[in-house]
Amino acid sequence: MRTLNFAIRNFKEIIRDPLSIVFSILLPMFLLFVFQQINIPNENYELKNFTPGIIIFGFSFITLFTAMLISKDRTTSLLVRLGISPMKPIEYILGYILSIIPIILIQNLLFFILAIILGLSFSINIVWSILISLLIAILFISIGIIIGSIFTEKSSSGISSIIVQLVCFTSGMYFPKELLGNTFSKICEILPFESCVTIIKGIMNNNIEIINTKNIITFLIYSIIFLIISVWIFKRKMISDNK
Amino acid sequence: MLAIEINNLTKKFKEKKAINSINLTIDEGELFALLGTNGAGKTTTIKILSTLILPTSGKVKIAGLDIIKDRQEIKKILNVSPQETAIAPNLSVKENLEFMAGVYQIKNKEKKINELIEMFKLEEVLKQKAKTLSGGWQRRVSIAISLINEPKILFLDEPTLGLDVIARKELWNIIKKLKGKITIILTTHYMEEAESLSDRIGIMSKGNLVDVGTSEELINKSGTKNFEDAFIKIATGGEL
Repeated sequence: MRTLNFAIRNFKEIIRDPLSIVFSILLPMFLLFVFQQINIPNENYELKNFTPGIIIFGFSFITLFTAMLISKDRTTSLLVRLGISPMKPIEYILGYILSIIPIILIQNLLFFILAIILGLSFSINIVWSILISLLIAILFISIGIIIGSIFTEKSSSGISSIIVQLVCFTSGMYFPKELLGNTFSKICEILPFESCVTIIKGIMNNNIEIINTKNIITFLIYSIIFLIISVWIFKRKMISDNK
Repeated sequence: MLAIEINNLTKKFKEKKAINSINLTIDEGELFALLGTNGAGKTTTIKILSTLILPTSGKVKIAGLDIIKDRQEIKKILNVSPQETAIAPNLSVKENLEFMAGVYQIKNKEKKINELIEMFKLEEVLKQKAKTLSGGWQRRVSIAISLINEPKILFLDEPTLGLDVIARKELWNIIKKLKGKITIILTTHYMEEAESLSDRIGIMSKGNLVDVGTSEELINKSGTKNFEDAFIKIATGGEL
């Protein structure tokens, strides 16, 4: 119950900041719409390929808001107040994660509604990809928890925007990774964002064959490691902030 | 009965001693002020007593419970109003109260919230987002929130810092109303605040609790004319 109570508070904090809606929902929708109006002769921009990229792009803003919420809670000493209460560290982490889930669902629903209006055919695979995207979102929330636990409110937004840029350049949403050479290709493979887009793309288009073991392992390793690090850093910072 | 019992409490950060073997007892219902210059160890003491950080050595009992072994039990009977207001900025005043009632799993939530609204006269700002309130109102809400679990012991860390004279007086009146009902440990930089509100005052300097007594006792002991001079003499060891 404490976790849910904390999650509801976090959700209200995020949703009442109009910038979070603009960046995490309206900006990706705007990009999805605009790129469908321009006839770009590249299969990356076909709805079936571009929509999964937009979903992961939207998640990079989830990292931003999670980081800003946590760093703000540290600055305002709300975490001091909660640290004195009977709440346990795991309840904080779950509270932060749970609060983001409704935002992810809203994002996904609106992105798919727009994509369908623009010409994407509806199938049950869209529902599956929404469910899988909830798992993928945990990676982005964990990165946000790490950034928010380490940095101040001001620097959190700057550091998080690096994640936004990394998603743009290394997820393959705008251009194939091979275009920029072998080294860049390797970087894209090492980072998890291309794997995230590929997983959503494969499920959404009922084309599981494009998801290889490497994609799944890369995504799982990053998600598990970042989740563990986020819990560890958050606990450590809660103690060290109070020294 | 004793609310707080401290025996040889020491806190080290690496090699630096932030608190050096403090001994102190505070009675139930007492309002105890902790005074000291910056870096004297007041906030570290409060953080240990309020379970935020662990002591390096020494024994602390809160309402008879051990600060290390009975940590979770102690958390239920104390609360704190930190230096920064520590309220959720995008939530309304009512939502802040409801949120903290949820954190402490208060059973009679609505009744308790209404009591606090009445006690702190929060009706006029109830629907206002916390971040839009003035400094005085934010402090008032912060203290109201810290009473949500009906704590036996309340820590007020610099409750009137940065407030104008009127807002400060209003908060003093609120603190006076609480006096005797619960044990309050207050840290402050304002001499008149400590003098006006507290039953006893402890003066800290460089991690040591150098003296404890009522304001009159401290003035008499130091042989000065007023409390401010007494504090300066005690805190500096008579160097100033």
